[in-house]
Amino acid sequence: MKVVKQMVPLLVAIIILLLLFRIWVPTFLSPENMLNLTQQISVNTILAFGMTLVILIGGIDLSVGAMVALVGTTTVFCLSALSGDSQNLFLVLISILAGLGVAAVFGTFHGIAASKTAMPPFIITLASMLIARGCALRFNSGLPMPIEEQQTFFLAIGNGRLFDVIPIPVVIMLTLFFLMALLLHRTRFGQHVYALGGNREAALYTGIPVVRVEILVYLLCSLMAGVAGMIHTAQLYSAEPGSGEMFELTAIAAVVVGGTSFTGGRGTMFGTLIGAVIIGILDKGLNQAGVHYSLQYIVKGAVILIAVYLDVRRNR
Amino acid sequence: MSAKSVPLLRLRGITKRFGTVTALDEISFDLEAGEIHTLLGENGAGKSTLIKILGGIHQPDQGEIWLEQNQITLRNVADADRQKIRLIHQELSLAPNLSVAENIFLGREPVSLGILRRSQMNRQAEDLIAQLDLSEINDVTALVSDLSTAQQQLVEIARTLSQEARILILDEPTSSLSEVEVDALFKTLRQLREQGVGIIYISHRMEEITRLSDRITVLRDGKSVGTAKTNEIETGTLIQWMVGRDIKEHFPRPPYRPGEVALKVSELSNSQVHDISFEVRYGEVLGLSGLVGAGRTELARALFGIDRIQSGTIQIDGKPTQIQSPRDALQQGLVLVPEDRKRQGLVNDQSVAFNITLPWLKDWINGCVFHYGVRNAIVERTISRFGVRLSGAEQPVRDLSGGNQQKVLVGRWMEQPPKILILDEPTRGIDVGAREDMYRIIGGLVEQGMALILISSDLDEVLNISHKVGTFREGRLTRIYEAQNVSAEQVMQQLTEGAASESR
Repeated sequence: MKVVKQMVPLLVAIIILLLLFRIWVPTFLSPENMLNLTQQISVNTILAFGMTLVILIGGIDLSVGAMVALVGTTTVFCLSALSGDSQNLFLVLISILAGLGVAAVFGTFHGIAASKTAMPPFIITLASMLIARGCALRFNSGLPMPIEEQQTFFLAIGNGRLFDVIPIPVVIMLTLFFLMALLLHRTRFGQHVYALGGNREAALYTGIPVVRVEILVYLLCSLMAGVAGMIHTAQLYSAEPGSGEMFELTAIAAVVVGGTSFTGGRGTMFGTLIGAVIIGILDKGLNQAGVHYSLQYIVKGAVILIAVYLDVRRNR
Repeated sequence: MSAKSVPLLRLRGITKRFGTVTALDEISFDLEAGEIHTLLGENGAGKSTLIKILGGIHQPDQGEIWLEQNQITLRNVADADRQKIRLIHQELSLAPNLSVAENIFLGREPVSLGILRRSQMNRQAEDLIAQLDLSEINDVTALVSDLSTAQQQLVEIARTLSQEARILILDEPTSSLSEVEVDALFKTLRQLREQGVGIIYISHRMEEITRLSDRITVLRDGKSVGTAKTNEIETGTLIQWMVGRDIKEHFPRPPYRPGEVALKVSELSNSQVHDISFEVRYGEVLGLSGLVGAGRTELARALFGIDRIQSGTIQIDGKPTQIQSPRDALQQGLVLVPEDRKRQGLVNDQSVAFNITLPWLKDWINGCVFHYGVRNAIVERTISRFGVRLSGAEQPVRDLSGGNQQKVLVGRWMEQPPKILILDEPTRGIDVGAREDMYRIIGGLVEQGMALILISSDLDEVLNISHKVGTFREGRLTRIYEAQNVSAEQVMQQLTEGAASESR
């Protein structure tokens, strides 16, 4: 209940923002616009779920943006190489698994490097951000790779609607939210994450398998980037080797706005969801209100500063 | 009144509240020039708040501070600094990435034309350390992060003493120092007293206090209970003042009923300890004594699977075992409660319940199901078994006093008692009442037949609680005594022999 109470200011902020934008954009609160909003935030929100785990253990993952691009290009490459003109559900699945597999390799590497060596996660993932981006640019000479129109199943991941109402990305986002929240707040693994982030040394002395937990955290973060990459690619109708730029920073912003401590040990999945929603509302609202994009950056920067300042002050 | 009869420092009616809690209630206190005045009291009695007011860290809500003839206000640390009031904190405040000399002269580095005179700085630091007789620090260019806790504490002391002081305040400066280092520190403090410095000294160690101080003031629950000249008051009275009840500080040695050999270590070596052999039986306390850095903690870390073992064998219940990680050690029934509660022991921001149940997640989390009943029962049992004083189990563990934190750390393992328990400095920085509790706990565990290894820098404690005492020097276990047949002097000699012959 304490956790819910901590979220009250953020929930109030959401309501204020919604009403504010309603003044400028009369259609802002219409159901269709709201559905669009949820669809637009899904990629960032999913990235932020993974980032939450990493930040909770006191780490960081700068590679998720590049991972979005690499997973997209890998999957689309497999898709066109394997299936040709026709669509085969099995081959689509294989392509998706290939994409996620690449993400898993990177994530496992991050975890091993971070837990077994003294290299800081910032540097490890900075390096693999460059490597992943480079790998993505190897495909198709760095040019966009369009998805064949008959790949309706894969395209549905980004553009379909459940019962013709709820966007599939939103369904995926909410499912992942449920799973990640369960994992963090209702399992032994979740307790280990909090112990590791709160005091790594103490976790070690208590007999927590710190290496295993750390690897799993980075692996999950990369897999989330993989899923986000699928959605993003399908939404663009093509795999863009240059896409996903700055995504890691937006995801980090959502996590910290949602009240997760940047030094680790404190934060919730729900907070991250709220943080991502706030950033999404700002993005969409400012856009629809016709605010010049230069100003949008400034406003978003200011909002992040204020949110984190208030959070830090509340926690002494 | 003539100027001469005015004390160096007078506090009158100092009151400090934090929210609804009154930390200090109308405290009055005098400090003469050339006096060592001890502040005594259990944790939470208000000593730290009082000295933080003198250091300009907290501001009193009421009351006056007089320095000789003048009433002063200390709005911040710089104010206290200007009045030459120097504070040595309990918690270290060194920059670990800088050298000893750089830390000592931090903010006052010798420069010419804006260029740092490093060689001059190092020379001055060496002079200072020689003057203070801090033989434990032999290289002023060493990084502070490479030093042991005790050495860091000495650097902290050296830094403070390198500045001119009218009033010097030391908050438990000896908590991680060995007896030799304590002696050197006391010598310096007595010299400063001769020079007319007023010294406020905070410690829990009764023996130190009676040896060093001229007067003693006892605080309890934020009030001043009384002030007395050290040679006119008995220890028993002081303790009675402190705790408000009559308890004697004593060390109840657990009854000795040794069983089978629980742990047998043969010729164990790694980079920090060499050729260690010993055994501990069930129902036995093996005390490990030694100067800080002599290898006691290092041995414990190796046994617990944190540091690698290069050669040698460990047998538990007569069976050779491979311990590669704390998890292995725990599975073998061996627990280490580390020396640094905050850094190695507790997840400070989390609740008491979180910390207590952390080793037992398997028992109350099953997949995605939290068995809160089981969890709360574990917490309840631990709290009541060890008498942990708290306002609620969901309170952050960092808000507990040191003694209660220690009880949480030791107590949580008793849910499924280990065969062998290693306690590293279990009574460091905790007050007399909590200390007694800790001894009672140790006694109870040994009576139940646990094998216990007690690492402590407090010689009285090691000699009186243990059945056997091992002495460490330079990474080696030099001797094992029957605790009852050995005097503190003999052990002390054994511990320092090497150090003395080296410096000769």
